[in-house]
Order: sequence, then C-alpha cells, then structure tokens
Amino acid sequence: MKSVYRFGWSLVVTLMCVFGPVQAQESRSLIPDRTLDIVQDSGFLNVGMYQDFPPYSYEVDGEAKGVDADLGRRIAEGLGVEFRPYWIIPDENLGDDLRNHIWKGHYLAKTRIADIMTRVPYDSTFKYMRDSTGEMINEQVVFVGPYQQERWQIAFDEDRLDGVDTIAVFQYHPIGVEVDTLPATYLTSAFGGRLRDQVQHYSNVGAAFEAMAQREVAGVMGMRAEIEHQLESYAGKGFAKAGNGFPGITKQVWDVGLAVRHTHRALSYAVEAIVDRMVRSGEMAALFANHGLSYSRPGYYDAILGPEESGE
Amino acid sequence: MRSNPFGKQFTASALALAVSLGAHAVTDEDIMNDHNTVDQIVTYGMGVQGQRFSPMDALNTENIQYLQPAWAFSFGGEKQRGQESQPMIKDGVMYVTASYSRAYAVDARTGEEIWQYDARLPDGIMPCCDVVNRGGALYGDLFIFGTLDAKLVALNKDTGKPVWIKTVADYQAGYSMTAAPLIVKGKLITGVSGGEFGIVGTVEARDPNTGDLLWTRPTVEGHMGYVYEDGEKIENGISGGEAGKTWPGDMWKTGGAATWLGGTYDPDTDSLFFGTGNPAPWNSHLRPGDNLFSASRLAIDPEDGSIKWHFQTTPNDGWDYDGVNELISFDYEDNGKAVKAAATADRNGFFYVLNRENGDFIRGFPFVDKITWATGLNEDGSPIYNTENGRPGNPADADGEKGETVVAFPAFLGGKNWMPMAYSQDTGLFYIPSNEWSMDIWNEPVSYKKGAAYLGAGFTIKPANDDFIGVLRAVDPKTGEEVWRYNNPAPLWGGVMATAGNLVFTGTPEGYFKAFDAKTGEELYKFMTGTGVVGTPVTWEMDGEQYVAISTGWGGAVPLWGGEVARVVKDFNQGGTVWTFKLPSDRVASH
Repeated sequence: MKSVYRFGWSLVVTLMCVFGPVQAQESRSLIPDRTLDIVQDSGFLNVGMYQDFPPYSYEVDGEAKGVDADLGRRIAEGLGVEFRPYWIIPDENLGDDLRNHIWKGHYLAKTRIADIMTRVPYDSTFKYMRDSTGEMINEQVVFVGPYQQERWQIAFDEDRLDGVDTIAVFQYHPIGVEVDTLPATYLTSAFGGRLRDQVQHYSNVGAAFEAMAQREVAGVMGMRAEIEHQLESYAGKGFAKAGNGFPGITKQVWDVGLAVRHTHRALSYAVEAIVDRMVRSGEMAALFANHGLSYSRPGYYDAILGPEESGE
Repeated sequence: MRSNPFGKQFTASALALAVSLGAHAVTDEDIMNDHNTVDQIVTYGMGVQGQRFSPMDALNTENIQYLQPAWAFSFGGEKQRGQESQPMIKDGVMYVTASYSRAYAVDARTGEEIWQYDARLPDGIMPCCDVVNRGGALYGDLFIFGTLDAKLVALNKDTGKPVWIKTVADYQAGYSMTAAPLIVKGKLITGVSGGEFGIVGTVEARDPNTGDLLWTRPTVEGHMGYVYEDGEKIENGISGGEAGKTWPGDMWKTGGAATWLGGTYDPDTDSLFFGTGNPAPWNSHLRPGDNLFSASRLAIDPEDGSIKWHFQTTPNDGWDYDGVNELISFDYEDNGKAVKAAATADRNGFFYVLNRENGDFIRGFPFVDKITWATGLNEDGSPIYNTENGRPGNPADADGEKGETVVAFPAFLGGKNWMPMAYSQDTGLFYIPSNEWSMDIWNEPVSYKKGAAYLGAGFTIKPANDDFIGVLRAVDPKTGEEVWRYNNPAPLWGGVMATAGNLVFTGTPEGYFKAFDAKTGEELYKFMTGTGVVGTPVTWEMDGEQYVAISTGWGGAVPLWGGEVARVVKDFNQGGTVWTFKLPSDRVASH
C-alpha cells in the first residue's frame, strides 16, 4: 500500500519517556529544548541509532552494542554525561528520519527526539537540497563530525565461485540483497537487467548470509561493515570478500557523520570537537578495529590531512 | 418488525422491553437484507454490495431544509486526528469506531454513551497514513473491528467486553488494520494493511465466534492459499497458478498488493470483491511484467478463498495507483437485457464497469478532468500507456543528475481515494467523491536510507486548479456522462450516501455536512460541524422519524503531505464527534 512516494511512518520502539509527562495539548513546538547546557545539567545524552542494525547499533540483553553505540558512549563521556540509547526504526529515507527524530518529532510522538543521531551520511549536496518550492529541506539540521567512509561490498561462497572479478558472474549465479536498498536496485537494473533474475531479496544482510549458508545464493552484497560482521560470524565456512568494482553504481563510497538540531549548535560544536579528535588521533580507527571492522577515514579529511595512507 | 422465533410468545409490551434492552442478535439474514432495511444498519456499505443507497424518502428535496441536529457525541480524550468511520445502527444503539482503534456504543435516541472500548496499542506504534479506523462489523452478539496493531477485536455488542482478540499480523513488520470487516454467510472476511516492503497482501476468512482462521488467500501470484479444517492447514492452490509468470526473479515473494481497504460481497454471483494495492518495489523498471495481482480487483469464492476472476486496472504500476477502491455491484438494462455489472472509480482516474459474473470489461472512461499516464483504455480495459512522458524514469539511469520531472495526472492519492462512492437505484447514477490533482515525480540525485546511499524519487502533489481540488460528481455508468458536479476548495476525503429522497450526502474538510439534489446537483443543505469531515454518512428510521449521522474530525492522509495541498488544508481544526440529525415527524407532512 505504499511506495517511496509516501510518507510511510515507520514504527519506533518503546522508550521510557525521558522528558517527563507528555503534554496534554498539541501546540507547534513540544520538542524539549536540549541545548548543550541543558544536556550537561540533565546528566545524559540521547544518542539516536538505528535499531537491529549490526554491526553499527543493536541490542543484546538490554545493552546497546555496535560501533555507533560505542561512538555514542565516547561522545557522552567527552561531554561528561551518561550515554542513553535512543532507538530509531528507519523510515523511507534519511530526510524522514531527520524530521522524525531530530528537528520536528514524529506527528504521533512530538515530544520524543534524539539529541544527536549517528550514521547520518555527510554530504553537502544532501545538506543543501531544496524541495520543489525552493525551500531548503534540511535547514533545521546541522550535519557535523564525519567519522567514517562507508562503501558497498560483496562476499561470496568460495565453494561455488572461484572469485568475483566482475559482477558479471552473477548473471549465472544467484546473489542475495536486502530489499529496497541500492544493491537491490543496482543489481536488478544494471546492464539492462541481465542480473535481474538472479537477485534474491531478504529482509536484511544477516538473512542473506543465512541463505548463502543454505546454498540458496552464491554471493551477498551489502555495506562493507555489515559484510565483514557477517563474515566473522560465518568464519571457517568458506565465505570471502570480493574485490570487484561496481560499474555504473550511483554512489560507491560516502562519508558518515552525525546530525544535531539546528537550534542546538553549541552541542554540535562540542560533539564535533570530540569526533574530530578521535579521527585525527587514530582512536576512531581503533574503535572500528575493536569490532573487527576495516576503517576508512572520511573523504572530508583528504583536503585537510592529505590522502589516506591505505584504504584497507 | 422482523420475525423472531420467540416473538409470538411475547406480549406487545414484552417485545418493547426486549427491544429497549438491545438483546437481538444480528443474523446472516439481517446482513443480506441490510440494503432494504430502514430501521438498522448492520453492514459497512449499507448493504453488502456497498451501494450506500437508502430506500427512505421521508427526508427529501422538499423538506431537507428542516433537517436539524438531534445530538452530538464526542469521542473524548486527547486523541483526535482523522475520523473515517461509518456508524452502524442496531436496536436503537449506534456502534461507531474512532481514531486510535476506539469503539463506542451510543444510545441512538439521545447520544448517551453505553460503553467505550479503547484498544491497548503498543507504546510508540507509528502506523502509516494516520491512525484512522473505518468501522466495524456486527454479527450475533458481537461487534468486531480491526486495530492499528493488526489485531481483530470482538466485543460483546451489549456490554463492550472483549470476547476474543486475535493477532492477524505483526505490526512491527508494518501491518495494520483500518478497514471494516465484512460478514458473509457466517464468515468474517478481512484484508490487511501493510506499510512496508516485504509484505504480501491476503484476504482471510475467520469464524466470527472464535476468530479462528477458515481460509487465507494471498493476492500475489505464486503464493499458496490455505483452508483450515479441524485445525489442520490444507493447501488450496497457488494464487495465479505458479510463481514467476508476471514477475521477474524472486520479486513475487515481496510483491505488495495489500488488501487494506476491505471488500464488498455480491449475493447474486456469490463473490467477494477485494481490491489490491500497488506492487513493490516502487520502481516499476525493476519489475517488468504485469505484476499480478497488484492494482487489481479480485472476485473470490467465500467458501474457500479461491480466485474466480481478476481485473487489473494498472498493470506494472509505476505511479502508486493502488487498486483498492471499492467495487460496487449494480444491475442495469441494456436494450432490454439485464446486465449484472459492478463498477469502481480507480485511483488511476478511470471509471470501470465490469461484468461481475466473469470480470469481463464492459466499458471504462475517465471520471477526472485530466489523465496523463495513459491515453485511454483498450478493448479489454487495459490501459494504453502514454509511452512518451507518462511513466516516471528509472532512477538507475539518473547518472547522478536530477532526472527529468514527469508530471502525472492524477496524483498518487488518486482521482478517488479510500472514500466510498454511492449508487442510486433511482437515478442510476454513481456519486463519486473525487479530486483533481497532479504529481511531479523526479529521480532524486542524492538520496540516503538507513545510513546508506540509495536511489529514490522525489515527488510533490499539486492542485490541478487554483480554486478547487475536490469534485463531487454524478456519473452515468452507461454512458460515462458527468451529469453534474460540485467543486470544493479542499480535497474531498469523506464517503457519500444517496437516498430515495433524491438526496446525496457528503462532508467536506472545511467542516460542512452537505446534501445535494441527486438529479441536478443543487446544494440544498449545509451544516457546519466545527471540524473537517472525512467520515461516511448513514441514515435510518427510528420511532417513525428519519435520522442521518456522520462522524466528523479532520485528518486522514491529506494533511500528512506537504507541498501546495498542505497549504489548502493547514488551518482546518481537528475534532472527534458523531453528529446525528433528524427530520422531525411534523415536517414529513410538507412532502
């Protein structure tokens, strides 16, 4: 009943109401004012993270895990406050998530808002995008602290494929993807649709790996960190990272940073300083290494620090 | 009064007492006769065929000006938003649902509340497209309705106490229930709403007394249907025969086609008629083929859920033209020959008249002023696509640039959306609540989803005219002629009712409840309800007087969209009230 054209309001997990009693009357702004001073006085930071999204952010026995959760902890620590996870179920696109969780609040839960949101692509084109009436779509948001560069990656079953020199091999072998993602669109449309019939859709990358273990598919395409995380779970099963390129893909790499509400700029500066220090000092790379993940520095730093020494 | 097995043993006064206690069960006979019965409304649609036509004429074009409010009942609470429900009436009691999955029984004479039931919704539930509910079903001693967290709740209609509650689907996966269930031959028939990718629509039958499944029928080609016998799940044939006939790869597994608006039933052909939503994924270039049974009408056997026939309005949909709009059965004469027809006004802007015995296309025509995605219909009713600039481009071809904008009439909200139309047996006309708007669609050069690069489309909805969006139209299904029209500034989003009093009723988002002359379209009556009207009116007879009622409260999908349409509706106030009117008996004489 919906498509990308719609505002498909996704569901958001139950959260303790940390903002006190819900107000009885609707008014234009119910968003709690959480400036830097108020955050520090309150003693906690609501860190927005996507739910069930390993290895970035997920919950095990009530504890927030993942590389984004750990980054949130470091930022909270740097501000001298307690880290509080704020779980986000993704809506249809980033603009919806920013509206629902950073600057406006969801229309059914207007008092619920994250202080900062992790895993927000850092892209000046997106930042300055305008709608059909010329209004800036994201002017209520400040994008800060690029902390990682993410990219697409294929893993394959060495038992079935000698290697993946090019994605042409998936004209002849099935490949798994998460539904409604760029890999799904790319693989079903590239080269005039010649791979289309080999593309198998799954609810997430983990489910696609399960299918690879069941020999339903010979490869899986997802984000590099997701792929590496699954490869670790399936260590010894004969699955490996491919080294192929993705000709014609609209975006192969992108920077990831944080989002803060535009009225909370002082908070954004404080957060930015913490993240910048971590990237420059190598702490960020170490944080990813602790999770068994490759790290690529954001392209943002290339102009400042010169090209990164090694990609992988 | 209807006969009942104990009737003869009661004295007149005992009967009156029984009626006042509201103790009568709703029977299959009540449901099948609902369209001819004036003292009760026990179906969504004022009859299982969904014609929304009342044979009552006490209230008519001569005395409509004397219609006066009898009572108003507030749903209360802090929760308002859209009120899209159709009230039901049984034994002097009104049964009505409200936003946020609430149900009420109200004394239909006074408006005094008898009971209220608030479904316990999970904290933080955020369903797609507002928190509406469109109504319930009455059967036996039960009032049954669906909830936003995809449960069916059966309440004792006299006490409001739950008798059974069944989880139909997982709300966290995006499923929801907002349509009124349908009772057919002792079976409770429902569809399901699904807001997320990866769902497959189904039609399901249950035992209304227990909620136990009797059969299921998936609405996407390739999925197995089942019947349940003594708790055993038995295969009953794959929808469409086999997978992969009209879908590439494995896309049928997550094909969409949600049955979110419920259905109608035709006793003459013993068929359930259900519509289906758009296919997934949204980019039509990825799924070459017709993608059955998305954007279709299905005729389903109520015994076991088998598909008898299908008619697809938008094959390989690329505009989000859901095919869920109601299919209404009606009969007409063609050169002295009786035709068993059914009609629907689709999102895509075309009005279709089908042979309801076999699904054959009889005729079709635009019911909106402008359609750009297709240039017409073929002899079999399939669209003649506008291949020049009708279909939104493939974002995969966008090459990092903002793709060319495609302007499509109508917008994805449809020439007509969920709001039910009415058919008058007297005038032979359909009364269609419709809207004139277009959408611009373009490929978004930069798009992200869940932390990842993505390929998306941007869109905006635009009114087609400066001074109106909504149009209430009277359309002749035999000729396609628009007999009259009423233009409304805001988009029309409420249902319509026709009566033998030569009247057509509907509400407007501006807040007016209105009545029109069914033959001429002259506006004869309006009443300001104080909030936007997106509900569906009903009428019935009680104590020798004709009553009319409608739920009011602005909301639904329209205010959730931005752009130029939002500007038209942004100042409308929310609400939550059932307004009930009557024609005082001394005014009937003026007829």
